[in-house]
Amino acid sequence: MKPLLYLLTLLILLSCTPTPENVQKSNDLPPIYPDYCDVTIPENIAPLNFLLRTDCEAVEVRAGEMTVNAKGNEIVFDIDDWKDMLSQNAGKEIEVTVSALINDQWIEYKPFRWQVVKDKIDPYLTYRLIEPDYEIWNQIQIQQRCIENFETNALGHYEQLDNRCMNCHTFANQDPQLSMMYVRGPNGGAILNQHGQLSKLNIPGSVYFGFSPSGRYITYSTQRIIPAFHSMPSKRLEVYDAGSNVYVADMQEHRVISSPLLADSLKFETFPTFSPDGKYIYYCSADSVILPRDIKNLQYRLVRIPFDEQTGTIGNQLDTLFTSHLSPSTSHKTSVCHPRISPDGRYLLYTVADYGTFPIWHPEADLQMMNLQTGAIDTLSIVNSNKSDTYHSWSSNSHWFVFASKRDDGLYGKPYFCYIDNDGKAHKPFCLPQEHPTFYDNNLKSFNAPELGKGKVPFDVDDVAKAMKLEGIVFK
Amino acid sequence: MMKIRIVLFVSAVIAVFCFFQFWYPYHFFYHEQNQIFLWEWEYVSGYFQKSGGLSSLIGDFLTQFYYYLYAGSTILTLCVALAGFLLYQTLTNLKVNPWIALASGLCVIAWLTVCHFSTSYKLSSTICVIGWLLFFWAVSAIRTKWLRLACFLILLFPSYLLFGTPKTGRIQPPDFVLEKDFAVDNEYHFGNYDKVLDIVKNSDGWTAQMQFFYNLVYAQRGQLPEHLFDFTPNNLGTFENIGPETPRLTIINMNELYWVLGDMTFTERAAMMTNVFAPDNRNVRMMKRLAECNIVSGDSIAAEKYLRILSKTFVYSRWAEATQQQLAQGQFPPYLAQKKPFVNHRDTITISDNAHFLMMQLLDHNPNNMIALDYILCSDLLLKDIMNFKRDYDRYCADSPRLKPLYQEALCVWLAGTQASQEEWQQYIKMNDVMQRFVEYNNQRGNPRFKGTYWYYFDKIKAPEI
Repeated sequence: MKPLLYLLTLLILLSCTPTPENVQKSNDLPPIYPDYCDVTIPENIAPLNFLLRTDCEAVEVRAGEMTVNAKGNEIVFDIDDWKDMLSQNAGKEIEVTVSALINDQWIEYKPFRWQVVKDKIDPYLTYRLIEPDYEIWNQIQIQQRCIENFETNALGHYEQLDNRCMNCHTFANQDPQLSMMYVRGPNGGAILNQHGQLSKLNIPGSVYFGFSPSGRYITYSTQRIIPAFHSMPSKRLEVYDAGSNVYVADMQEHRVISSPLLADSLKFETFPTFSPDGKYIYYCSADSVILPRDIKNLQYRLVRIPFDEQTGTIGNQLDTLFTSHLSPSTSHKTSVCHPRISPDGRYLLYTVADYGTFPIWHPEADLQMMNLQTGAIDTLSIVNSNKSDTYHSWSSNSHWFVFASKRDDGLYGKPYFCYIDNDGKAHKPFCLPQEHPTFYDNNLKSFNAPELGKGKVPFDVDDVAKAMKLEGIVFK
Repeated sequence: MMKIRIVLFVSAVIAVFCFFQFWYPYHFFYHEQNQIFLWEWEYVSGYFQKSGGLSSLIGDFLTQFYYYLYAGSTILTLCVALAGFLLYQTLTNLKVNPWIALASGLCVIAWLTVCHFSTSYKLSSTICVIGWLLFFWAVSAIRTKWLRLACFLILLFPSYLLFGTPKTGRIQPPDFVLEKDFAVDNEYHFGNYDKVLDIVKNSDGWTAQMQFFYNLVYAQRGQLPEHLFDFTPNNLGTFENIGPETPRLTIINMNELYWVLGDMTFTERAAMMTNVFAPDNRNVRMMKRLAECNIVSGDSIAAEKYLRILSKTFVYSRWAEATQQQLAQGQFPPYLAQKKPFVNHRDTITISDNAHFLMMQLLDHNPNNMIALDYILCSDLLLKDIMNFKRDYDRYCADSPRLKPLYQEALCVWLAGTQASQEEWQQYIKMNDVMQRFVEYNNQRGNPRFKGTYWYYFDKIKAPEI
């Protein structure tokens, strides 16, 4: 009975939806949005639903063995059929042919390919949803999305948290059992998740942070953040630090460890992160200049300092890994932001911009990847766009990273995923798929600070609201 | 008897319509602008993620038509009338005395009408009440008792999911002062500048909002100096700094001011801020402004983002699609093309939205920006900051003097105060009648006969505190 019903439903659908006939071939790639042409995808990704940026009456997509017909310009794949297709084609390429009915004429566009790789991406993505004008906020949310499907849940929601500012949910080793996020405002603090047990920490002035491999330490920066405005409308907002230092916090003994090398009053230190072996703290450092007047002369270099996890001591020898004059493009000055090392320790991913410490509004901001074994720098031309590409996070297998890109409209950041193969070659990135192809067109929030995680975090927004009422643990 | 009840009911409904149409019409624009409704499944389906989705959906759907004249009062009247009628029918189904049922229906109409006096009360709340009354009416229409009870229990939860819980508005009298503020704001927004001036001139009292738009109209006609002292104290808007605590109307005012001055960075910022602080982070008027300011500043892909959204609305789609077509052909709507020369192409960084600094940047880039010039000089004069006035006048009027009586009067103050030489007087004072009146004024300082001159303002009126 059931198969008959399915057949009947299919027949009804097909009778309603036009299918290609008298097809005219085009040499152009289809104008699909998001741009999923010739991208590399993991076998565990949700369906890449898309739309055609053209006025068409119907569309047909053939992807491998699967054919989808739809009225209008939107293509939505059945999630079960999609998963079957990806599992059958793992390690292979899928040819995708798009045909569209435009003014009563079917046009078949040039086919493109999806390269499906067996290296899976961590299935959960956390991010903050905020209007792109980051100096002000209202109704902020921190969400976690399963990128194998379209399920989303809130970790922080303005309704339960008195419309407070929240930011930076970061995992230790992409592990959902150990993570931390900030909830600002009166009685705010860092909410530490240890296997679902939430506690509130009062770490003085902490902004950007990263866990040590053991999870015992975090390294963090403190900064006095100043928003400023460009008179040229295309440059919009600038944010700089009037002062910043780097520290280490011992999460067991609740003490702050400092070093004069990381808190130099003549320097700005920021964006600290531990190396995967815990032996170094990588961070960005710049000589202080008069701000905002000389902001275009504010170039951060990439440096590292030893750290001993056994004794909790910071070393006293600084190594500079990247400065402006070491930039592959020597024609202009370069400032480094957000260093993040792949969990296997092979690659260091960072953002370069012309100046400053807030690349989100810098259209020239691009990602670069340094091979830590050879020192070779990949400018990731296939990854970057002519808009801001920044704020990245690695997947636990070191084969994927996510980053926020403003490439589509220059305003609203969206998560893009990029594959790094065994040879260290980056592949064309793709945008986080959504259930409705028009989602990004209608969306008025930026996906800010995306972080990949191996699983769903064991707490929800109500737990965070309860944790906010706890007495904060004071760090000395 | 039935006829009397109908007459009473219809009279109440007509009274509601007349009140909103003739005494409270500009409140509708506030509601219409502080939302956006897209004709698209992805957007519509989002309403059903919370209880009360259907009420919100219908409420927002209808609210978008408030844009049209008479639509707001018609929609609102029909909604409150329907609510009253449903309660009347429900009670008569339950065999309640028809006069009590009528009184109850009229009470609901009166209560909902009062709720709508407040800007925080949305039409969706009235739709929620209608939804629940519809539920009670449907249940009350069932004759069999056990079936009525069963239907009540079965439909209760689905009704909750569809209609949510009614939200009562803040009970308040009609705010006619705010209505006047909305009137000048919206008549300005629709380009009816003469009507703005009429509303302000025919008012008994003037709010800062009314003064702001009055000045904005005259500034665009090059007549701000002539009308600066039509009100004392006056509000130019140039002493405002906007932030999270700033009232939304002030943020919208600043958006209009920056737009007129030609500062697209701050136009965009104020538009973004209005969106951020709107009830659901969406304000359709500012969405249009975001498209406009990005077109002017040359960021066509950012403009396209907002045009695409607006093209999915009922009211703004025609404008959005026409603008998209023009941009595709490399053309600009003429009113936007006029603004292009004022866009600042020199890059400097500032940490505040100090309007004086912003206007200096605009004038440094384009000294022909007469609106910015008048605003900067008039702002100096309102503050009685003669030194800065003279500095700004020298900086921007050295080559082509801006000959306005107000500026000449102010220059007299500076020249007299600094005991300037005869050459300097001749260099600056080009209007002989001003010179003569200045001599007269000095013999009768503070005489009300000189009201309207800068000298009188300088001597007798308190400058605004900033």
